[in-house]
Amino acid sequence: MAVSAPALREALAAIVGGDCLVSDPALLAALAVDGVTPRWAARPGSVEEVSRLLALASAEGLHVIPRGSGSSLDCGMPPARVDLLLDCGRLSAILEHSPEDMVATVQAGLSLAALGAALGRHRQRFPVDPVGGASRSIGGVLATSATGPLRFRHGGGRDLLLGLRFVQADGTSTWGGSKVVKSVTGYDVPKLLVGSFGTLGVIVEATIRLHAMPPASGAWLLSFASHASAAAFVAGVLDSTLQPERMVVLNGPALKAAARPQARAAVAISVGSSAEAVESQGGDLRRLGAGLGATVSAIPDDFWLELGAVLAGPVRLRLAGEPSKLCFWLAEMEHLAGEASVSVSALGEAGSGAVRAALGRAALDGGWLLRAVASLREGLSAEGGYLVVERAPREVKDEVDVWGPISPDSLEIMKRIKRQFDPSGILSPGRFVGGL
Amino acid sequence: MPALTEARKKSLRREMEALLGPGAVLSDPDELMVYESDGLTLFRALADFVVFPLTAEHVAALVRLAQREGLPFVARGAGTGLSGGCLPAEGGLVISLMRMNRVLEVDYDNQLAVVEPGLVNLHLSWAVGARGFYYAPDPSSQQACTIGGNIANNSGGPHTLKYGVTTNHVLGLEVVLPDGEIVWLGGKTRDPQGYDLTGIFVGSEGTFGIATKIVLRILRQPQAVRTVLAVFNEIDQASEAVSAIIARGLIPAAMEMIDQLTIQAVEDAFGCGYPRDAAAALLIEMDGLAAGMDEQAARVIAACRETGAREVRLARDEAERQLLWKGRKSAFGAYGRISPAYLVMDGVIPRTRLPYVLRRVNEIVAGYGLRVGNVFHAGDGNLHPNILYDPRKPGEEQRVVAAGGEILKVCAEVGGSISGEHGIGLEKRDYMPLIFSEADLGCMARVKRAFNPTGLCNPGKIFPSRKGCAEAGFASRPHPIEEAGLAQRF
Ligand SMILES: Cc1cc2nc3c(=O)[nH]c(=O)nc-3n(C[C@H](O)[C@H](O)[C@H](O)COP(=O)(O)OP(=O)(O)OC[C@H]3O[C@@H](n4cnc5c(N)ncnc54)[C@H](O)[C@@H]3O)c2cc1C
Repeated sequence: MAVSAPALREALAAIVGGDCLVSDPALLAALAVDGVTPRWAARPGSVEEVSRLLALASAEGLHVIPRGSGSSLDCGMPPARVDLLLDCGRLSAILEHSPEDMVATVQAGLSLAALGAALGRHRQRFPVDPVGGASRSIGGVLATSATGPLRFRHGGGRDLLLGLRFVQADGTSTWGGSKVVKSVTGYDVPKLLVGSFGTLGVIVEATIRLHAMPPASGAWLLSFASHASAAAFVAGVLDSTLQPERMVVLNGPALKAAARPQARAAVAISVGSSAEAVESQGGDLRRLGAGLGATVSAIPDDFWLELGAVLAGPVRLRLAGEPSKLCFWLAEMEHLAGEASVSVSALGEAGSGAVRAALGRAALDGGWLLRAVASLREGLSAEGGYLVVERAPREVKDEVDVWGPISPDSLEIMKRIKRQFDPSGILSPGRFVGGL
Repeated sequence: MPALTEARKKSLRREMEALLGPGAVLSDPDELMVYESDGLTLFRALADFVVFPLTAEHVAALVRLAQREGLPFVARGAGTGLSGGCLPAEGGLVISLMRMNRVLEVDYDNQLAVVEPGLVNLHLSWAVGARGFYYAPDPSSQQACTIGGNIANNSGGPHTLKYGVTTNHVLGLEVVLPDGEIVWLGGKTRDPQGYDLTGIFVGSEGTFGIATKIVLRILRQPQAVRTVLAVFNEIDQASEAVSAIIARGLIPAAMEMIDQLTIQAVEDAFGCGYPRDAAAALLIEMDGLAAGMDEQAARVIAACRETGAREVRLARDEAERQLLWKGRKSAFGAYGRISPAYLVMDGVIPRTRLPYVLRRVNEIVAGYGLRVGNVFHAGDGNLHPNILYDPRKPGEEQRVVAAGGEILKVCAEVGGSISGEHGIGLEKRDYMPLIFSEADLGCMARVKRAFNPTGLCNPGKIFPSRKGCAEAGFASRPHPIEEAGLAQRF
């Protein structure tokens, strides 16, 4: 490093202003990432400031971790060091909303809740709803490719993102994609940033596609006596012409966390459409469930907002497997956990094959977690799937590769991309899959 | 690039024939001529060879051979592209995927299919149709174009309004990289592990390698369909109807506009029952659950009437529906009957700017003394002005190109995009600076360098030529793309 620490601090403060640079050790300790305290945290107020921060970081070799709301900063390998935590929280404006075109351009630090409130006035929404994620930032949601129940109908962030402004490692502000709902004008660079976990650039603005709120909706919980019946119901819905908006599978402990009546497994499902279509689909879904022995109850609108509790806990896993094997993997996880009296509260996104599970403290005893992760990974890899340890105490992360193995061929391409975008390796180095 | 000597050509031909078998290598100029352009006939270029591999290993061997010889190579599907994307550089290899056209696997439980790139788009829907499934992206060329071409261009179609474009339906790909290595990007899981390589490959117009297997989502066919033809005396009324329908929170499966010139051409040629004196017609299709469908159709019809439709016709049966769609789908064929040639444009604008932009399009083309027909994906704001011309008339081709350029400028000015689905290819590369800064293009060049470091895989596409850079004021110093050795020129 070319410049002394006090000089660096001054240079950072000159960019964002003294008020927006945190250098007080106590405050910084509260911002630790996986137990690693940043040297500084900066809260830039403009894209220009982000650019200047990164240009400086690049020149001085500072390791930078971008921060949205901070909810998922601990997802990834622990950083070796954090020189600059780049907090996007002040970038929280809605820059453009054209209700007639159903497109909005927003800054990355805007929360889903604030966006939802603004869009709601026009009866529109951005249908990306990671559970418990209302306070999460748009930038963070995109950077982690977070999804939630509405994905069943509307796809994920990758499908709803039209254009993106991001700042490259060297400080260059870069735009990719478009502000209209369809475009093949140059490479789809925004796709690369989605799910890149802060390793390719700092997302500062996003142009997103919006959807209209449905005029009517209904939601039901179908409780089943076995995973097999829940699986049969899910398969039945997928193979039908019904078009629910959300469909998630919850296991027993998840139902408890969501304050719902106990069952081995349940499917929570919602329909959003015209009143007549809601009525008719509700009937079809209830009949299909009843045929498989389900107990059906209506669920209130706020059910979906309160699912966050289902995934609270010291350890969280994400399994990605074949959609048709969702309930199989749920059961498999419960089986492994049952042997060691580890609690598993799990939520599966039907149709996508993604299962998220919160494990209780007992998972950390006697190396159980490491064995369980290895065993699930072995099974999942046979069908092209994988497992991510999304959250775990630092000690565990020192023992396990949280991302799991990845095919060397595709990793090689990813490394080449990383080198092109961040040649000196300052953006969240080493935190992503395969050490990216 | 120095031309190959005849002797060298002969020996390469022998080498490739040994690999692919007899009949799978063309090098006779008469035969090569068939492959000198795609659906955009303004550009032509002759390859040294056109080759027809059967397997990914064949493709890999051909790509390695091309790299060894320093020859440019390009993948080709059905050649229906409209931006010159599959044109060879002068010389080199055209790798046709047309013999690799099988459906390899269909997994209904996981709602996916694994196919080869040369499969014709519509044939996938045929293959899964009996089981109640289909493949949603439906370019109007779907009876001919291939999945490989669709992937490269991130193709759309009438029904992408509701169901999304190609990229929303691709899960993974087996790809022969430009260095000849065979790799998988993505796979069968819905969430990619690591960077979304599938997402960046789709829409890369054949410059990141050659797809040899593709994993696609297939969807359940909808329960019910309603198709409406709304007829207007003013083109602005039709544009307003598009916005009015969307404003009601309705997302039709498709919403296509057809203007008067096109209606008359179609009626002359095929007689599909569109009123010849209408200024514009909207073909609107809704699909989904049977319950509530009539109400949805009623709301669409009401929106059309409120914005001034003089007639709204609901197709009574499948036969009438097919006839209405025939009018839309045969538009290109109909132009062919009234004009020796036409240039298909492909800009996108915010839907709400339709009235303004359509007026400007008509003014611009009239200003060049030419005629234009519009038939396009109105719900997406994806314009297709088709400028009619006669290439035999001196100067006419240049005027068409100039008019097209002005139309793209208008699209850019209103915050739109210069290609919605046909891609940039050769045709629009010099217009890229209308949309992207030098830094934006530099970033794309970096992605390209990660996949295609020698630049031999489909050179000359997407990135502005030296002329385009100069016009955009990029070339006063060494351009980052040039430094990267990536800007290919003829
Ligand atoms: C009448 C008509 C109507 C059309 N309507 C539409 C429409 O509604 N929507 C739309 O989006 N397009 C439309 N098109 C354009 C065209 O059909 C699409 O771009 C189509 O996807 C091209 O497919 P193709 O097989 O003909 O590809 P080609 O023209 O052969 O090639 C197109 C591009 O794909 C690349 N490529 C081909 N195969 C591979 C592979 N295996 N791996 C990597 N790259 C590959 C080529 O190098 C080239 O860059 C239309 C064209 C015509 C002529």
